[in-house]
Amino acid sequence: MTGEKYAKASDLPAELRDRLGALVLVLADNKRLLGMRYSDWILGAPALEAGIACSAMAQDEWGHGRILYAMLRDFGEDPGQLEHERSSSEYRNMESLDAPARSWPDLLALNLLLDTALSVQFEAMAESRFEPLHYKVSKLLDEERFHFEHGRGWVARLGGTAAGREAMQRAFVPVWEACLRWFGPPGDAAGLVLCQEAITDRDAAGLRARWLERVGPVLASVGLEFAEADSSGVWRSRVEPDWDGWDPEARRGSEGGPDPDTLARVRGDKNRPLLMD
Amino acid sequence: MQLGRAPAQPAGAGSLEAGMNFAAVLAETRGGRTLPPPPEWDGPPADLVERAWRALYEVSDPEFPISLVDLGLICGVAADERSGEVRVDLTFTATACPCTDFIQWDVRERLLREPGIERVQVEVVWDPPWTTARISERGRRILEDAGIALVT
Repeated sequence: MTGEKYAKASDLPAELRDRLGALVLVLADNKRLLGMRYSDWILGAPALEAGIACSAMAQDEWGHGRILYAMLRDFGEDPGQLEHERSSSEYRNMESLDAPARSWPDLLALNLLLDTALSVQFEAMAESRFEPLHYKVSKLLDEERFHFEHGRGWVARLGGTAAGREAMQRAFVPVWEACLRWFGPPGDAAGLVLCQEAITDRDAAGLRARWLERVGPVLASVGLEFAEADSSGVWRSRVEPDWDGWDPEARRGSEGGPDPDTLARVRGDKNRPLLMD
Repeated sequence: MQLGRAPAQPAGAGSLEAGMNFAAVLAETRGGRTLPPPPEWDGPPADLVERAWRALYEVSDPEFPISLVDLGLICGVAADERSGEVRVDLTFTATACPCTDFIQWDVRERLLREPGIERVQVEVVWDPPWTTARISERGRRILEDAGIALVT
């Protein structure tokens, strides 16, 4: 790692600060919404243990969201406004989180694919020159370890039956495509700047490759053919990301945002009079 | 300001008796009422940093009968002798710890009772990340005696 460290956002050159602030908001929103999607399954998961795991994973995601929103204060944002006052279209979450996971395989797609995509982005910031991130990543990834194990275990379990495999195949397609896009298109300006400035250590293509390396083998082990290893052992997606409609700001492939019920819950509308700092 | 270290403590100090009623402990520990006595110190504290560390041995975790120092949540203490300002670097066991506010209030409230401490700044840090390895030997004995098994 070369170059000076940045102790706070105001030390960053303006363009870098804007790019990084945008990334932190994307991560915060995805964490907050993913936590809600886990919480939707605390009751009604296929096993009591799975519901309890969802509860623990929701708690982790909200803890990470809280840290990330708070970090944005230093970027000139008001975390309270970000958390409680925005409209749906102002959220920066992946489209797969707009509405609750309808089935357990849908939830597993978020658990294994989407949660891992977020972790891959954090891994790339473990040695970030932006110290406020660098100092938080190892705790956060430590808490994420069992999320991946949980997803992997359930994919193996459902993968033991033809019906389970078929259900996962159907459920994983849209989340696969959303995650594949999420890292950004080739030559993505934001990714390049962050990488050149050593805020992250991988660009969009590098992040996507790392993600494929993590999730590809898990799916292949139960015969789900989303990715395959080429002759040199590099995991490649069988489908190419579709950039039609790509929104670089929100990092999603279609317009939209959390549905009305999700929005009301994520903002805490019901308890607005009780909000405390 | 210089970051200080936790002062060395006498061996075997302050372990709880075996067979205690854990539910009663949980009900009573807020405010440190049944916290095991802090280590016995030799003489008065040498400076404000040591004074603060000693006081923090009397602040209980909200859930377990163990001091924040023994639990490993205190990552550093710095003090300005002249202004009486103390900075505490504090971490939590989990990023979504539901007790973050209680713990910070308790730290502030206890330190401000010390002579010479005029202001307290609590800094939440995540590096080093908390793991059970941060629990002190004394803390391990306390938790064991309270019937709490540590998964490492």
